[in-house]
Amino acid sequence: MSVKIAVIQFPGANCDLDAIHVLKNVIGIETDLVWHNHFKESKYDGVILPGGFTFGDYLRAGIIAAHSPAIDEARVMLKDGRPILGICNGFQILTESQFLPGALLRNDSLKFVCKWVNLKVENNNTAFTNKMERNMILDIPIAHGEGRYFTDNLKELEENNQIVFKYSNEKGNITAIANPNGSMDNIAGICNLERNCIGLMPHPERASEPILSPNNTEHGKLFFDSMVEFIKRRTS
Amino acid sequence: MTKVKLNGEDINIEMTKDEFEAVKELLKKEPNVTELGMFDVMWSEHCSYKSSRPKLKLFEDAEKNYDYVLAGPGQDAGVIDIGDGYVLAFRIESHNHPSAIEPYHGAATGIGGIIRDILCMGVRPIALLDPLRFGCLKDNSHSQWLFKYVVKGIADYGNCTGIPTIGGEVEFDDSFESNCLVNVACIGLGTKEDFQHAPSKAYNPGDYVILMGGSTGRDGIHGVTFASRTLTEMSEADRPAVQIGDPFIKKMIIEATLEAVKTGYVRGLKDLGGGGLTCATSELTGSGDTGADVDLRKVITREPGMNSYEIMLSESQERMAFIVKPEGLETVLDVFRKYEMSFAVIGRTDGSKVLKVYDGDTLVVSIPSKALSESPTFKREEKRPKYLDKLLLEKIPKRILSLDEIIYKLIASENICSKEWVYRQYDHEVGVRSVIKCGEGDSGVLRIIGTNKFIAASVGVNSKHCFLDPYEGSKGGLVEQCGNIISHGAKPIAMVNCCNFGNPEIPESFWYFSKSIDGMNDFCRDLRIPIVGGNVSFYNEDEVKKTAIKATPVIMIVGLIIGQENIITLPFKEEGNEILIIGETYAELGGSEYHSVIYDMEGGIPPKVNEREIKKRWDYIFELYRNNYIKSNHDVDKGGFVITIAEMCFKHNLGARLNIKDYNSNRLKDDELLFSESVGRFIIEIKPADHDEIMNLAEKFGVYVKQLGTIIDSPELIISGFQSKDIKLDLSKMKSLYDSTLPNMMDI
Repeated sequence: MSVKIAVIQFPGANCDLDAIHVLKNVIGIETDLVWHNHFKESKYDGVILPGGFTFGDYLRAGIIAAHSPAIDEARVMLKDGRPILGICNGFQILTESQFLPGALLRNDSLKFVCKWVNLKVENNNTAFTNKMERNMILDIPIAHGEGRYFTDNLKELEENNQIVFKYSNEKGNITAIANPNGSMDNIAGICNLERNCIGLMPHPERASEPILSPNNTEHGKLFFDSMVEFIKRRTS
Repeated sequence: MTKVKLNGEDINIEMTKDEFEAVKELLKKEPNVTELGMFDVMWSEHCSYKSSRPKLKLFEDAEKNYDYVLAGPGQDAGVIDIGDGYVLAFRIESHNHPSAIEPYHGAATGIGGIIRDILCMGVRPIALLDPLRFGCLKDNSHSQWLFKYVVKGIADYGNCTGIPTIGGEVEFDDSFESNCLVNVACIGLGTKEDFQHAPSKAYNPGDYVILMGGSTGRDGIHGVTFASRTLTEMSEADRPAVQIGDPFIKKMIIEATLEAVKTGYVRGLKDLGGGGLTCATSELTGSGDTGADVDLRKVITREPGMNSYEIMLSESQERMAFIVKPEGLETVLDVFRKYEMSFAVIGRTDGSKVLKVYDGDTLVVSIPSKALSESPTFKREEKRPKYLDKLLLEKIPKRILSLDEIIYKLIASENICSKEWVYRQYDHEVGVRSVIKCGEGDSGVLRIIGTNKFIAASVGVNSKHCFLDPYEGSKGGLVEQCGNIISHGAKPIAMVNCCNFGNPEIPESFWYFSKSIDGMNDFCRDLRIPIVGGNVSFYNEDEVKKTAIKATPVIMIVGLIIGQENIITLPFKEEGNEILIIGETYAELGGSEYHSVIYDMEGGIPPKVNEREIKKRWDYIFELYRNNYIKSNHDVDKGGFVITIAEMCFKHNLGARLNIKDYNSNRLKDDELLFSESVGRFIIEIKPADHDEIMNLAEKFGVYVKQLGTIIDSPELIISGFQSKDIKLDLSKMKSLYDSTLPNMMDI
């Protein structure tokens, strides 16, 4: 079966071409770069909201893109269970669109931070983590100024197993030092109740080829391999 | 300022009386205010290079002498062919004066400007690098303020546009206290066709002239004439001459421009930077040998009531001028519509060779297209400063501190310590090309996706060395920047420069410029490195204190690596491997960090460059690479080779046991040997089994190579063989000093 993915190009997105490169050249699946006003969900098995500074992050990161017609289209996909991944600014758009709960606040350092971190996989039963092991430690970079996850309903997230990734040290310990932005409970990524929509601040597309990783890993690839697996299971 | 009479009224202009007469001569009439303003801007030092042009003629033949150079000096950016159908464009520019007044927007719009220069070559900007200079940070809140907001300005603008900042350089020295330097470099990547599609000229009569991007406001009027003056206390009043940038609009301009160029209907492309619409229209028509009719009422203005003078001279950011084939007008406009970019078709080119600007029906400007770029040049006087004789003879007082105390002080010094505080704020990963990332090596290395090629780029120069000897210092800067990419396995293929100097009207300041150009020219000709572009920033002079900055001819070198297996990295790899040094150390402590940190001293004898020796070393290193002998490599820079070795130990918690007794061929004192900054040296790691072959090759190539010691498994640096007693350094302590200097100073 053929799988077809859309990467939405919002004005000001800047990781769109990186996601296209990985999906086409590393994973090897059919992928379209789609201008946000032109996006039609019916043609696609899954959608990726890439990182960047949509609409300059003016007003609030992700808020203007959350009102794009592309989000109405994506909402159809959300409801019928197709996979949706929001990376960095894409995560901010997903919380602003209320596809996912909580909010992303300014980093506690008040500075933009770009570095490789470790993530611990808390839930491997989602559209983008089914090829990972639970408690696995991933190498992956972050690059954001507003990535401090906050929710007033942490308990519910925990009970529903919606916390997918936490910032950890390389041994997998969830420590304050390993938390790069002050996120509540070291949360780096979450999913919806149905497990088909994930948002995370780190960049899997920057961690999908050994040449880019300080440890020669390709953990980012697992996100996209999982997505393909999820689509196959869903449609078979 | 000059006062002239125009139509019976007194007005102030920046140009001299002679230049004013030359304008009248060229126009064969008295100019009106708008016309005069246009000449005033275009004939400013910043736009016309009138002081530097006679000297820069030395660089003009790169395109002729190197078949892979597609565009050389004088264009918006240098362009080279790297094979496989790809070209690289790169340029470096200064944004010093605006940043000294308003660091955040000054630095941000500097980034914006250099991105446009690359974009108007028709290629995608893929990397930024920023060499910076500030006054010393310690106990100086003004320098800290400038540093903090310049870095933030670069970060906010660069990060938002999705162009990774892959490298840079920063030095702190009191001479930059009131004149900080913000130089910005950008590299672009595209196909050969992309480049050929978009020359910066309007050579075909009948094409449309389109202004796309942001609106035209009253900001930045006369920004370039402001950059061609020295800064005074009055300069605070110039704040409205600093433009405000919008990185989001810039990102949209990048995408819309690249998509428009791909349509094949764009015939010419030019960014609006210094000189605004005046510069863009006159350079497009002037270099294309055409004329144009332009209607200012079509220009989208930010506020009502702007007159022709303001519209022609506005330096509002985020604007591009397109020359579009008539048959493709709608196709190109549709691209702009898709990106929701505002645009205006403001005129058409014609064969008249005259630039005619209308305000509705009224003709407000009529100037021969080429006239604005035909500024008179000045032959400036040059004179070696008298104070240098005394400075070169300066000697250090008797050493009181022990060698290990000095090394701990050096590693924590502002100019040597880790710059992580800076580069963590830059997105250096976006674009998925960054293979050697900030902080991991001597230079950034990027892959060219779809090929087996990699490019390395390094920027910088040692201002303290150049202050003592600009000729040797500029050559030393070239050796150092080349060394930074060679240590990663890259062959230098081209250079661009950004010359930051004082007031060219002062003979001593102009002497620094002149000698630096000679140094660069001589070195690049000897080593066959094409100079493909440059930028000159004069008037970096403090009028209140009557001091110029230390001469800073910043150099950017770009190099090529073929094959991933040929990328060499900096950290030591394995216990038991040998540590070798390539190149001799001389008693060259002038301008060293040792002198300035320990003795607060500027003088002494600075390093000299021997081109033949350098060439032999580079050839030798590439021969070692070919044999896969080098496991890690790091170019020796500030602080001397012990600092270099410590930096190589840090990543894997390794250490080193060294004996320097046999290395001291020049019978130097202990401190001279350790802390001299003689250029062109490398520290390499090799396997013991390869030792003999490596030494044989050294003899064959006539290169001075010595084993300094071996890598050990514990984080300590044990050095013996001194005239005084052995020393043992704790590398964990060194690392924590190295890491904590900037955060301690800045995060308060």
